[in-house]
Amino acid sequence: MSAQTLLEVDGLSKRFGGVAAVSGATFSVDTGTITGLIGPNGSGKTTVFNLITGYLKADAGTVRFEGERVRRANPRRLYRRGLSRTFQQARVFPEMTLVENLVVAVAVPVWALGRRGISRADAARAEELLDRFGLGSHAHRKAGELSFGQRKLLEFATVLLGRPRLVLLDEPASGVNPLMIEQMERHIRDVHAEGVTFLVVEHDMNLVMRLCDPIVVLDHGAKIAEGHPADVRADPAVLDAYLGD
Amino acid sequence: MRTVSRSGVALTVVIVAGLAAFPFVFQANWVVNIAVFTMMYAGLATAWNLLGGYSGYISLCNAAFFGVGAYAIANLFPTSGGPPGSTPFLILPLLGLGAAILSIPIGWVAFRTRGVTFAIVTISLLFVAQTLAFLMRSFTRGSQGMGIGVPRFSVATYERPFYLALLAIFVFAVSVCWYVRRAKLGLTLFAIRDDEDRARGLGVDTEIAKLVTFAMSLGITAMIGGVWAYYITYIYPQFAVDPLITIGMVLMVFLGGKGTLWGPLLGALLLVPAQRLLAQNASTARWYLILYSGVFLLVILLLPRGIIPSVQDLIARLRSKSDRDTSPPAATVPTVRTEVVP
Amino acid sequence: MRLFVQAVILGLLAGGVYALMASGLTLAFGIMRVINVAQGVMIILGAYVSYTLFTHFGVDPFLSVLFVVPVVFVLGVVIELVFIRPLRPSEREELSLLVTWAVALGIEGVLGLVYSTTYRSTIPSYANAAWRIGGFAVLQVQVYAFGLSVVILAVLGVVLAKTRFGRAVRGTVQNPASAALLGVDERKVAAIGFGLSVATAAAAGAVYGVVTPFNPGSHYDLISLLLTIIVLGGMGSLPGTVVAAVLMGVSQALLATYISPTSAKLTFFILLIGILVVRPQGLFGAVERGKL
Repeated sequence: MSAQTLLEVDGLSKRFGGVAAVSGATFSVDTGTITGLIGPNGSGKTTVFNLITGYLKADAGTVRFEGERVRRANPRRLYRRGLSRTFQQARVFPEMTLVENLVVAVAVPVWALGRRGISRADAARAEELLDRFGLGSHAHRKAGELSFGQRKLLEFATVLLGRPRLVLLDEPASGVNPLMIEQMERHIRDVHAEGVTFLVVEHDMNLVMRLCDPIVVLDHGAKIAEGHPADVRADPAVLDAYLGD
Repeated sequence: MRTVSRSGVALTVVIVAGLAAFPFVFQANWVVNIAVFTMMYAGLATAWNLLGGYSGYISLCNAAFFGVGAYAIANLFPTSGGPPGSTPFLILPLLGLGAAILSIPIGWVAFRTRGVTFAIVTISLLFVAQTLAFLMRSFTRGSQGMGIGVPRFSVATYERPFYLALLAIFVFAVSVCWYVRRAKLGLTLFAIRDDEDRARGLGVDTEIAKLVTFAMSLGITAMIGGVWAYYITYIYPQFAVDPLITIGMVLMVFLGGKGTLWGPLLGALLLVPAQRLLAQNASTARWYLILYSGVFLLVILLLPRGIIPSVQDLIARLRSKSDRDTSPPAATVPTVRTEVVP
Repeated sequence: MRLFVQAVILGLLAGGVYALMASGLTLAFGIMRVINVAQGVMIILGAYVSYTLFTHFGVDPFLSVLFVVPVVFVLGVVIELVFIRPLRPSEREELSLLVTWAVALGIEGVLGLVYSTTYRSTIPSYANAAWRIGGFAVLQVQVYAFGLSVVILAVLGVVLAKTRFGRAVRGTVQNPASAALLGVDERKVAAIGFGLSVATAAAAGAVYGVVTPFNPGSHYDLISLLLTIIVLGGMGSLPGTVVAAVLMGVSQALLATYISPTSAKLTFFILLIGILVVRPQGLFGAVERGKL
């Protein structure tokens, strides 16, 4: 294990009924990278995310985060350790305002639950973040009123409040218009420049090739290739996976 | 915005003052009797709303804790002990605390499930509590019922102390709701209601928040059960742990508006007087269940979001419509659904 | 040992009937995500209809099943159309619970008006006849009721496995969206499915009155038992429901034999807590995949 490995996935497996969704996936994410995780539909990418973040229990395999083995993965604890994620469907809290959406993600100790919901400091931090993501004018609207693309931005902004070391992005560009994809890319690069590492699942190959290095390719729940974008693109196994069957 | 607004304070003062003045203005015993039950349900519904309205968890075991409070008072102040005066009112806070503590292990098990399974588990708890009330004879004397020392309050104003005690509990319940809404706990509950899995993924302490809220809600419910037992002075398992009490509070919250501060009170004000009049009249009592079910079905089918949210929506729509009518067309550039962000 | 075997036999017989009563709940939940709290009152309704047919016209309770089933089926379809269909899909699970509870109260009220709250019992000539097999006494009625349940469950199983309607139901349970794409009329499946789910319960109810005295309020005892069974079985799994029902019947009989008949009333609760602590998704439930 190299010193700058942030996340290490080893032999991760998960079956649903008789179907193997992930079988022995092994890869790692180095600190400071934007690692891409790609593969044809149904290759188990989202399941891998769910296993890493503790939304699903793995049948086998281990995950290490910052060198420490994650036992009994739990989304809440992982978030507080600096590992957070977004969802494909751009999940926000639809009946809450944008500010509330952000403030809820500020980790507080249990005994502070009785404290004021949105302190001045919280509000200031939330509004600053909203401005940065171009959502400032909607601060007091309900998140359910936003467009899909805006929700993706809000979801991305939200996870930053946990001061993450690693963010797992699940299809940040799917379902949004080209202009929004550009914005999303810019925000990812900005946050990356501030020292956050990314693991990105994405179907938009142009974006992946521009943004990610290295890239891990999954097929049928197992890794079939890994490397720089140019190498991956030229790998016959990858072409097979995408074009074959 | 959840800050203290002047109109909110004014509204609160008017409501509480009006409710407090009621038994002094309308003194007939039968009127205050109805008011006692109205205030009882207002408190129960408000307590239910704390968990059900804010977090979306439909708990149907509240009537079980109503019974816990009722039997606690019955055991502390038996008929043989003579008239207890106002002591039962004074120990209510301790009773509430005890019930809240009792609810924590129960909540811990029930919250292992979610959504509709949680509702089913809590229904089961309710029926178990009723069975236990029949079986635990040393604590409840089973189906023969249990008497409580009759207070020697003046006959002319007999209902008044009970009414005021229930009003105090109701005000406490509303205050708790108001405080929770503004606190981190409230944000947490709303997040749970909207998307619990995502909330967990954002480091939110969902488990603790649910348990604490469950305990507060049931503690208040038990206090109200205590006052009820003292008021009617003789209790039976089938009335102390009554599914109709649970369904009643849920109905009132739905009618008034889930997750609103005053919705439960509104629901109680609209339904309880009608319910009492129906139940007291022998010729209508036979139709009671049928009418109850009819009202419930109408509310859920025609007004599923409740009165207060529907009215708020209507006002908002009228306002935005009049805005649009008065402003020049150039100002109606859509601001919500644009993808382009500067 | 003798006591034990006797208890297990009784428990199995009762469990078979529970399985029939609860399978309708599972079916409704599987197809429409509806929790039908009125399932208990449908059983009691079946019991009253059968009681009336027997006392007024001398119709055998087992024969009256043929009348009860279609009548309650139609009632079920009407309830689905009027009360359940208007619910928004996003809130259907929770609201259906409250709506069907209200329906149950209404039917309970009607039964109270018509029959009063006195306990009734259907008592045909063979009500107390028993068989003795190898020293074990078994009430004939219980065996007939068990047999009826097995037959109806088997018919239900065949309908689900072999018919066009059954395929539509299974498709809807697995994936409503793709079933709709394949031309399954979800609305029709829902109405018929709900009708079927309550009709099976009422069939059990027709003979319930022979085994147990009942009044309009008895449906609460039944529904708490049935809801626990479907939670134990894993919400929406038919085999799970059958296993949970039998488990329930047997443990109830054992508790009644070895501890006390009254404590048997708490069986469902003990089982429920036990299962929830160890396995919150129920005996057969998979961790919900769609939830994420």
